[in-house]
Amino acid sequence: MRKDYKLDSIISKIAEPLVLWQAEKGLVEIGKDALAVAIKLGDRHEGYVFHGKAKLLLDTIVETEKGAIGKSTEKEANEPFVMLGNTEEIQRHLSEASSEDLRRMGYENQQGFEAEAQNVFDRFFMRGPVHSCRSFDERDGSVFAFQNKASRFDILVLDGSKLVYRATDMVFIADGTKVILKSSEQFVLSTGRKLVSIGKPCCPAQP
Amino acid sequence: MSEDLKEEMKKLKEQIADLQDQLKDVIDAERKKGHGVYIDIGNAVRGYVEDEIQAVAEGVHGELEKSVFIGPRGVRIFRRRAPDSEEDEHKVSLAEVAKVMNALGHEHRLKILDGLMSGGKYINELQEQLSEITTSTLSSHLNVLEEAGLVVQEKVRGRYLITMPGRTAYKMATKAGERVRQDDEECHTHCCDSDESDAEQV
Repeated sequence: MRKDYKLDSIISKIAEPLVLWQAEKGLVEIGKDALAVAIKLGDRHEGYVFHGKAKLLLDTIVETEKGAIGKSTEKEANEPFVMLGNTEEIQRHLSEASSEDLRRMGYENQQGFEAEAQNVFDRFFMRGPVHSCRSFDERDGSVFAFQNKASRFDILVLDGSKLVYRATDMVFIADGTKVILKSSEQFVLSTGRKLVSIGKPCCPAQP
Repeated sequence: MSEDLKEEMKKLKEQIADLQDQLKDVIDAERKKGHGVYIDIGNAVRGYVEDEIQAVAEGVHGELEKSVFIGPRGVRIFRRRAPDSEEDEHKVSLAEVAKVMNALGHEHRLKILDGLMSGGKYINELQEQLSEITTSTLSSHLNVLEEAGLVVQEKVRGRYLITMPGRTAYKMATKAGERVRQDDEECHTHCCDSDESDAEQV
């Protein structure tokens, strides 16, 4: 089923800074002039491969009666990344990318970006977490896959108020009052009323 | 088997029998006294037993580290990492203590922590509680608290939350303050009594 997804041949750019996702616990935003190529399933736009200045902010903090545990996650995505989800709003903020736009992002021509986007697309779909061709437009869900330093993907899955973030250094799951935070130093599970904590309760901010 | 060797074995058996009799006498005598029996099992055996005890203790410690539960009554056990050396532990803990004490060493910062004890707050809500200071001063205090790990800010919503160590530190600071005040009062009362008794003697 995964082979049904394919990249579009049209290269676009983000006309103005755009928030791709925003909720109580986080946001993903992308800067002006970022390159974009659509991921299509038949004629439907199911997502994009972006390359530009993007930022991920997540409040990966567990709030408990005994005090807060964890700290916010802030990451910049300067490598191409995949986004699957509702694309209506994004399409309204796209314009045609010029040769100058491609050069600004380090590509000699359109083929350069297409090859890079295809590489990320293949790695995500062939070895990534997407195992069905369910249309993301049907539900209020999104998937973001940011490339990390280990050349793997930090995955953010959103489904309504539910949120799962899996990175090399942490896993954060939020579902209403239930929150799970697992990092190299601690494991915390909070159900609102009960709290299970293993490891250091909190780390002071890094200098 | 040679006759010499047979003779030697016979002597050894007799010696062992004598030793057993002596040991029996010692045990009987100690039993009559109601004391336990102390037998020196030697350094090698003692070392082995100590090693075993150490291994078991480490196993229990390891299991405790893995099995931590905080229930509604607040029962909790946190992992304590073994320092490389006592000296390192001393240095690290003193540096951390200094950082926390510095963060706690200001009335306005204690007021901020007090305000956050009831739940997360935005900076404007904290500003309402601390109207005597400017927003920039408030931000500066929040930075100090954040660097000490007593407060954490949600980057998306912007709310400030008190951390677990923050709650502990605030409670300890207020208790310490209370204790000092009580001791001062007791000392003052005692000193006054002494003065009065001195005056009577005069």
